[in-house]
Amino acid sequence: MVKSTSKEAHALFHSLRSAYAATPTNLKIIDLYVVFSVFTALIQVVYMAIVGSFPFNSFLSGVLSCIGTAVLAVCLRIQVNKENKEFKDLPPERAFADFVLCNLVLHLVIMNFLG
Amino acid sequence: MSKLLIFLTLIPLLPILTTSFSPENPSSRRVLVLLDDLALKSSHSVFFNSLQSRGFDLDFKLADDPKIGLHRYGQYLYDALILFCPTTERFGGSIDLAAILDFVDSGHDLIIAADSNASDLIREIATESGVDFDEDPAALVIDHISYAVSNTEGDHTLIASDEYIKSDVILGSKKIEAPVLFQGIGHSLNPSNSLVLKVLSASPSAYSSNPKSKLSNPPSLTGSAISLVSIVQARNNARILISGSLSMFSNRFFRSEVQKAGSPTKHEKSGNEQFLTELSKWVFHERGHLKAMNVRHHKAGEADEPTIYRVNDDLEYSVEIYEWSGTSWEPYVADDVQVQFYMMSPYVLKNLSTDKKGSYFTAFKVPDVYGVFQFKVEYRRLGYTSLSLSKQIPVRPFKHNEYERFIPAAYPYYGAAFSMMTGFFIFTAVHLYSK
Amino acid sequence: MAASETSNGTALRYAFGNVLSFFILLLIGVLAFSIRLFSVIKYESVIHEFDPYFNYRVTQYLTKNGIYDFWNWFDDRTWYPLGRVIGGTVYPGLTLTAGTLYWILNSLNIPLSVETVCVFTAPIFSAFASWATYLLTKEVKGAGAGLTAAVLLAMVPSYISRSVAGSYDNEAVAIFALIFTFFLYIKTLNTGSLFYATLNAIAYFYMVCSWGGYTFIINLIPMHVLLCIVTGRYSSRLYIAYAPLVVLGTLLASLVPVVGFNAVLTSEHFGSFLVFIIIHVVALVYYIKGILSPKMFKVAVTLVLSIGLVVCCAVIAVLVALVASSPTKGWSGRSLSLLDPTYASKYIPIIASVSEHQPPTWPSYFMDINVLAFLVPAGIIACFSPLSDASSFVVLYIVTSVYFSGVMVRLMLVLAPAACIMSGIALSASFDVFTRSIKFQLPGVKGNSQVDAGDTSSEGVVAQNEVAKTDKNEEALKERPSKKNRKKEKEHVEKPFVKAQIKKRLLVLPFEASIIAILLLILLGAFYVVHSVWAAAEAYSAPSIVLTSYSHDGLHVFDDFREAYSWLSHNTEVDDKVASWWDYGYQTTAMANRTVIVDNNTWNNTHIATVGTAMSSPEKAAWEIFDSLDVKYVLVVFGGLVGYPSDDINKFLWMVRIGGGVFPHIKEPDYLRDGQYRIDSQATPTMLNCLMYKLSYYRFVETDGKAFDRVRRTEIGKKHFKLTHFEEVFTTHHWMVRIYKLKPQKNRIRGKAKKSRSKASSTTSTKRSETQRKNPWH
Repeated sequence: MVKSTSKEAHALFHSLRSAYAATPTNLKIIDLYVVFSVFTALIQVVYMAIVGSFPFNSFLSGVLSCIGTAVLAVCLRIQVNKENKEFKDLPPERAFADFVLCNLVLHLVIMNFLG
Repeated sequence: MSKLLIFLTLIPLLPILTTSFSPENPSSRRVLVLLDDLALKSSHSVFFNSLQSRGFDLDFKLADDPKIGLHRYGQYLYDALILFCPTTERFGGSIDLAAILDFVDSGHDLIIAADSNASDLIREIATESGVDFDEDPAALVIDHISYAVSNTEGDHTLIASDEYIKSDVILGSKKIEAPVLFQGIGHSLNPSNSLVLKVLSASPSAYSSNPKSKLSNPPSLTGSAISLVSIVQARNNARILISGSLSMFSNRFFRSEVQKAGSPTKHEKSGNEQFLTELSKWVFHERGHLKAMNVRHHKAGEADEPTIYRVNDDLEYSVEIYEWSGTSWEPYVADDVQVQFYMMSPYVLKNLSTDKKGSYFTAFKVPDVYGVFQFKVEYRRLGYTSLSLSKQIPVRPFKHNEYERFIPAAYPYYGAAFSMMTGFFIFTAVHLYSK
Repeated sequence: MAASETSNGTALRYAFGNVLSFFILLLIGVLAFSIRLFSVIKYESVIHEFDPYFNYRVTQYLTKNGIYDFWNWFDDRTWYPLGRVIGGTVYPGLTLTAGTLYWILNSLNIPLSVETVCVFTAPIFSAFASWATYLLTKEVKGAGAGLTAAVLLAMVPSYISRSVAGSYDNEAVAIFALIFTFFLYIKTLNTGSLFYATLNAIAYFYMVCSWGGYTFIINLIPMHVLLCIVTGRYSSRLYIAYAPLVVLGTLLASLVPVVGFNAVLTSEHFGSFLVFIIIHVVALVYYIKGILSPKMFKVAVTLVLSIGLVVCCAVIAVLVALVASSPTKGWSGRSLSLLDPTYASKYIPIIASVSEHQPPTWPSYFMDINVLAFLVPAGIIACFSPLSDASSFVVLYIVTSVYFSGVMVRLMLVLAPAACIMSGIALSASFDVFTRSIKFQLPGVKGNSQVDAGDTSSEGVVAQNEVAKTDKNEEALKERPSKKNRKKEKEHVEKPFVKAQIKKRLLVLPFEASIIAILLLILLGAFYVVHSVWAAAEAYSAPSIVLTSYSHDGLHVFDDFREAYSWLSHNTEVDDKVASWWDYGYQTTAMANRTVIVDNNTWNNTHIATVGTAMSSPEKAAWEIFDSLDVKYVLVVFGGLVGYPSDDINKFLWMVRIGGGVFPHIKEPDYLRDGQYRIDSQATPTMLNCLMYKLSYYRFVETDGKAFDRVRRTEIGKKHFKLTHFEEVFTTHHWMVRIYKLKPQKNRIRGKAKKSRSKASSTTSTKRSETQRKNPWH
């Protein structure tokens, strides 16, 4: 049972990796970006757990800026993904412009909230 | 004697105080003296002379003189009133009970001397002031223990009492050595009345009864509950002296020698003169009258008075307090003046330190609570006029830009936020480039 | 777009339709604005009621001192002596909006007073709100439904009640924000564009600024997202519509001082976070499903499920423990009273005491949404054919808002737009059906038959839509991408192409029936219009600061409130404190400019209870309470002379309840005789001796000799009495407002002895025995 499970898991990982390898480079870059921001968010949560939540607004804006960035990047990834049929008529330029706008708003708010 | 300290006074009474007592021309204070009999003028001349020598302008009138009046054209003609007319049933002229009470309520002083067989009117004035004379008109205070030794063995109605109130401000700093002679009616005070004070009380062995009749029922007033001389300080700081004996003001009592029964010492002169002179000084505001002025507060290091403070501000508070000495305002020196920073309850209670020149000051930090605060000075001491100052000042919370910024503990968050921003720029570049 | 594929003529017709609908919208805006002007015409341009006065005062401060001072405004004239941090406790949306309007107008050299701007803010925003309704309904069911819904919203009585000129309250702006936020959410959901998602977050921010009702949005949208996920309608558009909204929306909401950290710390918002996590999990699952083969995916599911289940349980346990550890389970009182309708009456009398927090009665439904109540079910049915993301959202919206409106009258306001949208859809769909039936049976008649449209021209557009060929209908369907992904939709489109044709033929109704039905619908619409205009003109335009009454000898105007407030402002010191029940707090600060103890912002229950206790205490105790609060004047509202029912005596039981909630020596049964609240001779002594009774009925017997109270319809219990610690200083013309001053403490304290033995009428007596024994004057 255990053996079969681990075998299956192995096969799963293998197929995941191979499937992911087929992803275009620009999507991979986005993925990297997402992972980076989620990682930063996690670091902050750990830091908060150690130090305490005193400047709560700073913590909130720090973490939310990371999560926000990640979420927006995921949205962008969904929109520029060529395999996604839903957004065929949405040009990637438009998607990117929206993404930039959204990010600008996000960071403006973050700056406001940080201090 | 804790009740003596409680002088409940309202804050807005302060302006009224100034009308009661004009420091501008204190030397010519006019006093109306109402007498039953003009003979009193000579028989009590020592007392009157001492008043006149202190600058009072005495106007002697018979109590039923039809021309007397306390005010004319809305102005009071007199600053004080002395009622040496215990048997008068009604006053002449425009004076009646209500007029006298109005006189007091507008801040003027009053001395009442009653006697046995005191009239209804006098009793009512006393009652309105918070003093209840013995209801038996013929009653006198009798004391078979501490009576004054006299040549004739009488009915022990002439009492020698030395149970004074212990207050330098009321009776002067000089100790009254000889007992005070008293012959007259006793009265009682309502213990819940915080405005009235017993200045001279009877000894525990005294009682109030008609000396001529046999004592059938237990007397209504006994022991030290009997007050012989009382004073009232109304909430507007008008002062009233009520004595159960008119004769204690007389020259005869002033000069008579006194020996208390059971006491070996015989005094050359009774304490009456000193006692009543000092007491009249108090009643006529020559002592114990305080005024506060120049209340100032400002932030530490600034001179101007702000309209609003912020929580945790450091501030300085100062006030000047003076006492009337009879001729001029002298700095009042005490170490127990306190200021409260008050909002429903005192948040800060500080003793004020004084420079002995009348100025009191302190510094404190505004508490970490916002709201509408008051600087309150509630100074109530036995015998002194009550000082009640309050000054309203709002305290606001921090403004949005007054909070601490750039807290070290938050640096990782700042770092994260900025790294996200730079990450965004790098990503933008890479994303555009890779396309 | 559809037009590009169709013929030139159709394109022209579309362009014409667009221009037409633009003008219709303009007219709707004018209608929405002008129907709300009855109050100005019938009364005057004046701010209404209670809360608007506070908003007006805040706006004045804002325009005078600028935004930063407003932000940091510490108001020392209310809640004496606590004060109130206005900037941190007020929803600034309305004030900032009106302030901006004022500023724009003034920089355009149009000198309007702040008051005028405030009075007209609500009508202006109701025009905006009807446009937003058009947009939202258009996203859901097309332009025809949109226009119908917009017309309905422009004059729905429920909304009029809160947005007549002068009703300068948060809701006036908030309803627009609410609808607009929903529109942008649906728009994002339909297009999947980040641009609209950003706009959505900003609209949400505006809503948070404007009204505490924003929690409705932040719970409704997650509910919808969850519904979509559960029903298998997840799409990446859903993700784009929701995830950025939560992050940006939460951040923006935290920027509003009154919300602050509540945006992440209170339970009202937890739902959205939970759904945020769920949608990520779902998104990940869909993504993995997309890149894996079905077999491998199955393996992954079993693997992840076994691990994930454990983790999930742990997380949920921790969350539940966290929430349960807080006493109110993290919910604020008002929200709790929403979920559990009996909560407020059990625990928080102060919430229950407000009439608009009571559950509504059935007539109030009919009064406030009128015929819409009957059209809503039809609209719901129309939404299910076919069910899209957008229409499911609208259905969810109406269902939740019906529930909430059943809990609180006030939330009828949230129901109104939903009802309008639904009715708009229903009306539009039924006109659609009927006109089509007529058209099919009159082959000769061309489509531009706007003539048959009776009350509004909206069906004209509906009809226009209908004239388009069936394939265009298909296009229209495609234009609004439904829940499934593209591929499925393609198939979906092919099949109904044939099906719809048949179906439409089947749906054709008899000609006469259609005509009659249309006539009936028009009649219904006309009835609605008549009712709405009546409601706007009669029911909801009274400013409640000026009252009128008709009697046999003509119109009476009662302007007592302003009389009293101006007396206060002219005859009292600037720093004097005025105590009254909290209803009149805002007006006193705004109109009389005097410090009050409590006001309509009921944030401090203890303070209100103190005033309630004072009002229910005997005179002396009340004097002491008021004196400790530095109160100089006490203001009571009394309607007994003119029959004004919402006076203090009628509110008195709430004062007793609220006071007794904090100070247990005030007991409600002491004021009730056999459970009945009465002020006649049967009333309890506690009632007859309490301050409120005395201040209300002092000298009342002098008016008619009998002291007949016209509100309670009875003679009062105690007619002749004197006040010892209060003195009457002002009573308005109709006795509606009575102002008393606290007497200062007595200068002297009397002795105990009998008052006056010489007076035979003396009533006081001493119980001292020897008085009887030896008193010679008797």
